[in-house]
Amino acid sequence: MTSANYHPSDRVLREYVQGQLSTGMCVALSAHIELCSNCAEQCGELESQEAAAWLHADTEHATPDFAEMANTIMELPQQTDWDGAISDESLASEIQLTDQNFSLPRVLAKAASNGLVWKKIAGGISQASLAIDHETQCEFLYMAPGSKVPVHHHQGTEVTLIIGGGFEDEFGRYGPSDFLVRAKHDHHQPSTEEGCLCFAVLDAPLTFTQGLARLLNPINRYRFYRATSHRR
Amino acid sequence: MTVIRPSVPSESAAVIEGLSDEQLLVAVGVSQDRQAFNTLFQRFSKRIFAMGMKLTRNEQLSQDLVQEAMMTVWTKSPLYNLDRGTAQSWIFTLARNRCFDMLRKKKRQPQTVSADDIWPQDAGVDMALTHEAEGPQAVEVEQIERLYAQLPPAQQHVIEQIYILDRTHEEAAAELAIPLGTLKSRLRLAMAKLRSLIGVEQ
Repeated sequence: MTSANYHPSDRVLREYVQGQLSTGMCVALSAHIELCSNCAEQCGELESQEAAAWLHADTEHATPDFAEMANTIMELPQQTDWDGAISDESLASEIQLTDQNFSLPRVLAKAASNGLVWKKIAGGISQASLAIDHETQCEFLYMAPGSKVPVHHHQGTEVTLIIGGGFEDEFGRYGPSDFLVRAKHDHHQPSTEEGCLCFAVLDAPLTFTQGLARLLNPINRYRFYRATSHRR
Repeated sequence: MTVIRPSVPSESAAVIEGLSDEQLLVAVGVSQDRQAFNTLFQRFSKRIFAMGMKLTRNEQLSQDLVQEAMMTVWTKSPLYNLDRGTAQSWIFTLARNRCFDMLRKKKRQPQTVSADDIWPQDAGVDMALTHEAEGPQAVEVEQIERLYAQLPPAQQHVIEQIYILDRTHEEAAAELAIPLGTLKSRLRLAMAKLRSLIGVEQ
């Protein structure tokens, strides 16, 4: 296990524990926590705190009468194995891109279990969307060794979890299991020598700010719209 | 002639009220104790309803959440043990997960990942076991000792008589000054609980 240098903030971890965040954001956090024992430990601590606060808060709502409910429930058989959650055997947990192999955190392996369709988006960068929720755009981003993403900024917040390899930008160097948050209007230009696989969650489309790449903006907005529009 | 009682001698309501959440949850999981479940239901249903109102702002969904979450407490209680933390944390995370899934369903999100995928139940346990493995034998003895400590004192005394001091059932009953039938039913309950706890851990 590699140790991360960049972690989610305490506030984000607390909201995660409370179940307040979008599914896309929760998936990114869950994947980071699987790779980062510090954050896993902190989440355990936050869960205890939240559970205690939950039990001691004043109830502000009139509670309906549940008199019959308990008896109905006790007619049901009990269970001795966990089900529904991820079982490791059935999931492909590796991704191969060019000649690099990446192993995926379990929640991402589950999210990708319907298959991935890779598309090239700009010099050396490929992208594969994941249908996770309607509030965010979730995708794997792969930067081939030696590639550079055109300068862009974000209209909303972008969260990036590095799964394997690494990249650098104006602000620093990032490696496996790092959890990065780019706020609205941060400009940055990532580049990589070794190649990099990331999972990214966006809550608004990317905007490129330089040269011909700006032509991608309408396309990105369209992609974002499609990824997040409600389908019935 | 001995009469073997089919389940735990029924506790009085006052005794049940005095038990901790953890003791109640274990009683529900090991012997389907209905009074214990009713008590847990009284202690937690309002809280779960309040959590539902906070996260969904919808009264009907919050009522459904009480049903779903308490149903999960009942059906999954055999999987609970003290290594999973306090009963309140266990019920909190389980109610949060059910609430998260209800909201996802209401928003018609794709069914690719569920709350139990995002917050896997076995994560902490896996880590604890893999980090401290000193060889299979050591883990097993240490594990049994820890599980033994989780048994109610009455069951511990019975196990001690039979498995540590090697007494016969009759000798043990005489030593503890309890009827032979009671001894046998305590022994059976203790073994059932140990089995279920070991099953959970492996």
